Amino acid sequence: MNAVANLANLTSLNDERLLIQAAQNDPSRFAELYESNFNRVYAFVARRVKDREEAQDVTAEVFHQALRNLGHFQWRGVPFAAWLLRIAANALVDRWQRAAKRVEVPAEDGQIENEAGESDTAEVERRAMLFQLVDRLPSDQRLVVVRRFVDQKSIREIAGELGRSEGAVKQLQFRALETLRDQMRKSHE
Amino acid sequence: MSNMSVHDELDQAIDQMLFEPEARPARVLQTNVGELIELASDLRDLPLANFKSRLQLELEWEAAGRSVSIATDGSRQIVQAAAPYSAGVLQSLFGKNWAGYPVRRVNFALSVALHGVMAFLVGAGFLMVKNYAPRPDLHSVGVVRLEPYIVPVGSHPSDGGGSGGAAERVRASRGVAPPATQEQLTPPLILRNNKQPKLAAAATVIAPPDLALPRTQEIGDPLSVLTNPSNGPGVGGGIGGKSGGGVGGDGGSGRGPGSEGGCCGNVYSPGNGVSVPHAIYSPEPEFSEEARRIKHQGEVTLLATIGTDGRTHNLLVVRSLGMGLDEKAIEAVRTWRFEPARKDGRPVAVQMNIIVNFHLF
Repeated sequence: MNAVANLANLTSLNDERLLIQAAQNDPSRFAELYESNFNRVYAFVARRVKDREEAQDVTAEVFHQALRNLGHFQWRGVPFAAWLLRIAANALVDRWQRAAKRVEVPAEDGQIENEAGESDTAEVERRAMLFQLVDRLPSDQRLVVVRRFVDQKSIREIAGELGRSEGAVKQLQFRALETLRDQMRKSHE
Repeated sequence: MSNMSVHDELDQAIDQMLFEPEARPARVLQTNVGELIELASDLRDLPLANFKSRLQLELEWEAAGRSVSIATDGSRQIVQAAAPYSAGVLQSLFGKNWAGYPVRRVNFALSVALHGVMAFLVGAGFLMVKNYAPRPDLHSVGVVRLEPYIVPVGSHPSDGGGSGGAAERVRASRGVAPPATQEQLTPPLILRNNKQPKLAAAATVIAPPDLALPRTQEIGDPLSVLTNPSNGPGVGGGIGGKSGGGVGGDGGSGRGPGSEGGCCGNVYSPGNGVSVPHAIYSPEPEFSEEARRIKHQGEVTLLATIGTDGRTHNLLVVRSLGMGLDEKAIEAVRTWRFEPARKDGRPVAVQMNIIVNFHLF
């Protein structure tokens, strides 16, 4: 349960409970739950599939299932993220079983943490934080990060697109990573 | 080592990580670069830039009542709830466009209805708003002028008009001009020597016949101040001090100043071979402040002489509206320009009514 508690750092349990109740009464309020849990679910999935397209598919599947089954969710003091991650784990198992691959399937709420381990959960949380911090980067630094690591373009290509020198783009890349590192350190303090 | 070299070193390591992941990692010289490369390694798993917002749109779309199903192969498919005729038409309306937004048909219906109401209101505005621009009254109306007769001045004082007389010592006595006609049979006389002519004919002057004049006074020279009956010192019949059979100060068979017959300095009325002048520049009049304040509106009728130069002369208010609108009408019409009327192919001055409309709506 300690690992699950770490997952709920950004939103207090009480606030989250109110958000869930609001979303159960009005599905359009689900957007707030989505916003606060997207990076966490995506990081959890991306760490296991190692393929961006598949990670996006599974993440979308998780949230669609969550929205459809939100009415069945019962608050038991467990963070909403744990419920989402269980859906994600089951979706991954289904996917892997269809692909005839062997995988261990967590069956209960607490089993996912036990099997994944605290270090794994902490790593998921760290990546979720990193992805969230990318969105907060200055626009030019964020653009360089996306072009470089998502689109996997060379410095020369990015410089041509932005109309800047290669040195300037390298500097933006360096500053973006430094900013992310500093923000990550602050978040862990 | 300079900062630039740190940038290069970091970039080189990232290049190797991105494009040669199986290669042996390059030796990291800077202590802080290794930490940054670890972060860069995690950033490779970032989702596509628009994935998060796109998925959010899908969820909002589903939350709005549309159904989204997950196909067995894991790929997402949209299930059209009820859109049998939606193929290729208004795809965003029927939710086929993934990059679009959640759509409710009732909103579309409301939008159509609202646009219809707006189109009706705009169209109704065109129908209801009247054109308040002044317009010349091309159908000259019979104007009853209650004010004393004033002989207008034509564009060329030497044209039109008339005079006459019976070689008397006293100037012609005051009176009104006799009726106008296109062809004069008998010149006007105040004192007649032949009391019983064998062939009696009404005394007339040559002028546009449709100009109404008061008939309450004896005939005479309208510009004279004398009251003793006299035909004037002129000759050739008529009334006045020059020769001819007309009435006035110059020669001719007409009345008013000028010669060669006619009225008022050779001013005609439209019709009978005289064309109607055509307005070529007619700016709208302004409303007076006092009239605008109390929403006073109506028409001002002006009697104007359109000269051969195309300008308006001798503007007279025939029907007044008050509240400063008469002055505004004169002020505007004074700036008007006309293509002058023509008689027998040459431009002539005409006298006609101009109705100036003042309408607020």
